[in-house]
Amino acid sequence: MKKKLRIFCFCLSLLLIFGMVACSSNEPASEDKPQNNGEEKIVLNVINYHVGTDYAAEYYAYLFEAFQKTEAGKNVEFNFEEIPTTDAFNQKIKLLISSGTLPDIVLNGGNNIIQMAAESGKVADLTPYLDADPEWKALFDETSLSFNTVDGKIYGIPVSKEISYIYYNKDLFAKAGIEAPEVAFETWEEFFEVCDKLLAAGITPIGMDTADAGWLTNLWYSALIGTSNEAGETWMNTMYPTDYNTPEVLEATAKIQEMLQKYTTADAIGGKYDPMATHFFNEEVAMFPNGPWMIPDFKNEEKAAAGFYDKVGVMLLPEYGMEMVPTPGDMVGATDPAKIEAAVAFLKFETTIENQILALEMTGLQPVSNNLEIPDSLIESDPLMAEVLELQNFAKVTYGQNQAYWYQNTIDEFSINLPELAYGNMTPEEFCTKLTEAALKNA
Amino acid sequence: MVPHKKFWITVFIIPCMILFCIVYAAPIISVVYTAFCDYNISTPPQFAGLKNFVTIWKDESFRKSIVNTLVWVLLQSTFHVTLGLAVALILRRKPFGWTVVRTAYMIPNIIPTAATGVMFTLLLNPSFGIIKEISEVFGITPVPNLFGNSQYAFWTVTATWIFYSGFNTIIFLSEMGAVDNQIYEAAEVDGAKPWQVDWYITLPMMKNIFGTCVVLASVAMVSQFDILYVTTRGGPGTTTLNLPMYLYKTAMLENNYGKANAVGVIQIALGLILVVLIQRMFSMNKKEQGE
Repeated sequence: MKKKLRIFCFCLSLLLIFGMVACSSNEPASEDKPQNNGEEKIVLNVINYHVGTDYAAEYYAYLFEAFQKTEAGKNVEFNFEEIPTTDAFNQKIKLLISSGTLPDIVLNGGNNIIQMAAESGKVADLTPYLDADPEWKALFDETSLSFNTVDGKIYGIPVSKEISYIYYNKDLFAKAGIEAPEVAFETWEEFFEVCDKLLAAGITPIGMDTADAGWLTNLWYSALIGTSNEAGETWMNTMYPTDYNTPEVLEATAKIQEMLQKYTTADAIGGKYDPMATHFFNEEVAMFPNGPWMIPDFKNEEKAAAGFYDKVGVMLLPEYGMEMVPTPGDMVGATDPAKIEAAVAFLKFETTIENQILALEMTGLQPVSNNLEIPDSLIESDPLMAEVLELQNFAKVTYGQNQAYWYQNTIDEFSINLPELAYGNMTPEEFCTKLTEAALKNA
Repeated sequence: MVPHKKFWITVFIIPCMILFCIVYAAPIISVVYTAFCDYNISTPPQFAGLKNFVTIWKDESFRKSIVNTLVWVLLQSTFHVTLGLAVALILRRKPFGWTVVRTAYMIPNIIPTAATGVMFTLLLNPSFGIIKEISEVFGITPVPNLFGNSQYAFWTVTATWIFYSGFNTIIFLSEMGAVDNQIYEAAEVDGAKPWQVDWYITLPMMKNIFGTCVVLASVAMVSQFDILYVTTRGGPGTTTLNLPMYLYKTAMLENNYGKANAVGVIQIALGLILVVLIQRMFSMNKKEQGE
């Protein structure tokens, strides 16, 4: 009896081990599902970060569902893995690039990982598909496609353009006796004079942050560099810069130091984006740099008080500057030809003119295609968005920003050293040297 | 009978050893090998000798991360464990409400550390956290930015974990509960004062378990990550950078897996050295052998 019990226990242990080993298989579950043979379903694995409270969750839910109703998508099923936040998503995708187990559709998570993915050979070359469909290719301008090109091959399909400008609170401006410019402050001096006036009226002039990637501070920084002169504009449009000790960057760093010390909230130093956005929603901060994807939040009464939308105005950055970069595109990680075809079909659907406009309406994502006809309904339902679209035409200088153009470790170096800069523990020269050293680690 | 028993012990250990090999041994071997390789996100490992170790040693941030890690190990293995012991000594006497205190002191250990980190970042936010109110009461202006200013960040982060020693308290209490009550009764008959009982009876008997707690605390500090990730991400500058955070940044932001694995090897080696040193310091193996 005892012997039998021991044998039973041993067998149970082995079963447990084999069970665990089997469960640890890295093959996606969907691989077991039927492949495309005639009318059989094609299952596409997608890791989706547009979930939960993400600004584009509703739009992407629609997109995936609507695609399955099209002729190209009727045999496609999606196998979703949901990862909230772009940060976690980007980390996961990088690990999957390394392990060679990318999802069939690789959504872009903001960070520019096209080059890494292309060099790893784990994503499909989409050039033949674009060449085979000139109408589709014509939707993208040269800049957007070249942003997603590595060694002459296109690996990403851009789905939007990223722009940013300044939101300002009309009431706070009025309280300080300031008349907002129609398009932009003519000079940075004028901008800082307005900041001083706001301060004098007891109003915090600008929203900034330093934690995570220091998104808001990065937008001010990019503008200061990009609008400084021609060299600054060129530098701010350079992919992966490695020399930060240039006069324009040094000067901008000194300005950022002053802005962090003088013109922003106490919690900006070490603070993350969300509390800073809350300051703007709570009307504690007069000016806030950001992109159009923030506009739906102004109407969201869980975030801002009713009527806040009407208090917000928009203007370009001083000296008519505007951050405008093509986005890193969505990629195809599938290897099976039928799956690649299906994934490309989805990307085509995602970038149709109708869906670009719908994305604009639902999320504020700027269309990647130029000169789209914006429907009157948008102008009526979202006048602020319409104003933004109009405002873009007045930009005299356009430039990139660090999340699109810098190495990721350099973005982190920027973020963690901003507090040191703000508290005067580091000079602008030392700050720029740190960034240079970090960037050179990638060389 | 004995050889038969040994056979069955071996049989039952085999599944565990297989699991250990799959889950730990194989990855560790892989980490050690690739630590000597040029290996990044888009290229397979290629042997490069000691290059990664030389590179990280030349990096000032790495040296700072080692120093910070060791300081935290020291603080955790001294102050943190001693605090747990002190609380256990008090609770051993079962003062009024001791069960409530024991449970309450354990609560912070139950809360996920990431949640603790978020809680502290909100509480210590200089614009709307409780620190603002407290500073105003005491007339401190401007409100100190405890996580954002490198002047305070190291100690602020340390404070988010160092006082919560409930886990050690529970371990010490269970060890104290195992001490034969007759020893205490004899001491009482001999007229020993409470502090003498603690000093001459309880504490010497805690030596071995104190060593165990120190090992656990030290190893926890060598691998401390989540609360730093949530609060400071190693900043401002390198003020709160430790080995795991340096490793994370090397792997995930520089995408340099070879270099990151070199850091991993050093981290593992540091952990092992600490365990051996602490065991020797407390003569833990001798005790076991003696038994």
